[in-house]
Amino acid sequence: MTGRPIYAVMEREVLRMFRQKTRLVSAMVRPLIWLFVIGAGFGTVIGESSGIAYQTFLIPGVIGMTMLFGAMLAALTTVYDKESGVMRMMIIAPLPHYWIVIAKVLSAALAAILQALLLIVLLALLGYLTLETDFVLLALGLVTTSLACAGIGIVTASFTRTLDNFAAIMNFVIFPVFFLSGSLYPVQKLPELLRWVATINPYTYGVDLLKHATASTGAMTADFTLANDVAVLVSFTLVAVLLASWRFSRESAYEPMIHVLTGKRG
Amino acid sequence: MIAPAVTGISLAAVSATGLVKHYGDIIAVDGLDLEIRPGEFFGLLGPNGSGKTTTIHMLATLVKPTRGAVHIGDVDVARHPVRARRQIGLVFQESALDRTLTVAENLRFAGRLYDLPPRVSAQRAQVLLELFDMADKRNRPVATLSGGMRRALDIVRGVLHEPQVLFLDEPTIGLDLPNRRRIWRFIERLRARTGMTVLLTTHYLEEADPCDRVCFIRKGRLVDEGAPKDLVGRLGRHILEIESDDLESLTAQLEPKLGECLIDGDVAFFRHADEDLSTLARLQTETASAASAWRVRRPNLNDVFLWISAGKVLKP
Repeated sequence: MTGRPIYAVMEREVLRMFRQKTRLVSAMVRPLIWLFVIGAGFGTVIGESSGIAYQTFLIPGVIGMTMLFGAMLAALTTVYDKESGVMRMMIIAPLPHYWIVIAKVLSAALAAILQALLLIVLLALLGYLTLETDFVLLALGLVTTSLACAGIGIVTASFTRTLDNFAAIMNFVIFPVFFLSGSLYPVQKLPELLRWVATINPYTYGVDLLKHATASTGAMTADFTLANDVAVLVSFTLVAVLLASWRFSRESAYEPMIHVLTGKRG
Repeated sequence: MIAPAVTGISLAAVSATGLVKHYGDIIAVDGLDLEIRPGEFFGLLGPNGSGKTTTIHMLATLVKPTRGAVHIGDVDVARHPVRARRQIGLVFQESALDRTLTVAENLRFAGRLYDLPPRVSAQRAQVLLELFDMADKRNRPVATLSGGMRRALDIVRGVLHEPQVLFLDEPTIGLDLPNRRRIWRFIERLRARTGMTVLLTTHYLEEADPCDRVCFIRKGRLVDEGAPKDLVGRLGRHILEIESDDLESLTAQLEPKLGECLIDGDVAFFRHADEDLSTLARLQTETASAASAWRVRRPNLNDVFLWISAGKVLKP
């Protein structure tokens, strides 16, 4: 019964993603800039880290980045849906309202996975991904990481009334989550406080799982065990969905939402 | 197994009993009882802020009443909101469409939300778009449609799943007169075709004439209800509108002859029960110099509401 509505939400997300060409292009350009500009720049300073070139070390980080941004932006369209009226279409549909949250998380994750796959193809063409990559682990990493990133996005969306403060979300959610992870540096080499922050950042475990998968960089750069990564990502996603559902359904059916929607009590 | 003897409640398409909604200290709806028969065209009328939207949202499972119960057919809305939502269509005051998608994409999305197979929803969409003269707009992005078209599409979206009851919250708000007439024509066609129960709210009271029954609400309370023709008939045959620089002395002069008047802003209204206008014509000549405007017209629902709001009792 709920299958078709969820498919509808996912299809719409993908349709919109491919229609907004600039969003897709920047999703590809952003990680490549990091890889080629930052990676090359810092690479000359750092040289080799743990026996591998800095650029190679960055590969899992930029794949993770694509998913983080892709999933966050897609999940944040929930706020746009509230403003534009699509949420009205969904809340009057005959499905429990927490399914809207689940559908949005799934479609944000799907958008992130598609973008990551596109990037992986580009990286492979550029010779940055070798056949040493464990593709089963990579697939697992894509799914769990994108779901966790979508979870961060949907929780953020559930606390956000308008997209006017998008810059604030960028500054206080997306950037910290990205920088305070193992994307750019090994977590174990971070100073005490930052290491502690990175350890409670769920996204850290997504990048770590990707490090496991891209075998050319090898398990030596991974900071946690595989099981640890998967456990953290899955449980964080569940908590995020519960939290967002609770936020969206506070009071009664979703009265806070209807107030945002109607803006008045006519 | 014998069917329960009392089936009066389950016969109503929509029934609300003792509906109350508080928002903190604000009382939005204050003890409303409604019973709408299957197939009825029902108008919920009142000025802005009278509680119409809150009422419609409570009927449509979207807002939980502070007190009172709502049934859609025999479904208790508080206990089975999802089942109730399957029976109803709701067109919000503001558009509920994705402007970035085309007309057809929006309707396919809406159809899937109601678990309709794509082929069924495409077929119904085609029929409905033709009914609303929009079949040629299928592949247009919603953002490029006019306000009237968008509202019509919103209605198509609201009835795609063939609900028992359609709620329309201010379907003509923000539209110009030709588009308002057009929306009313569409609603009429839809009713003729489907026999659907329709409940609409509007603050353009004079538009609600085609309704089978209307009820007036004010400050969350029901003030009067009935068939528009009966309600309007209670006012008499004509309404006389007068404007004047010295309205007070003119109305004082006319009231002994025409009965109590009602003053709204700088216009005075008199009721005239007779079809025959000769008395009014004579009075007009007598007061020609004092009145800056003198209009005689048929009463409408707007007048009914004015008289009710002023606390003047309307005897049939």
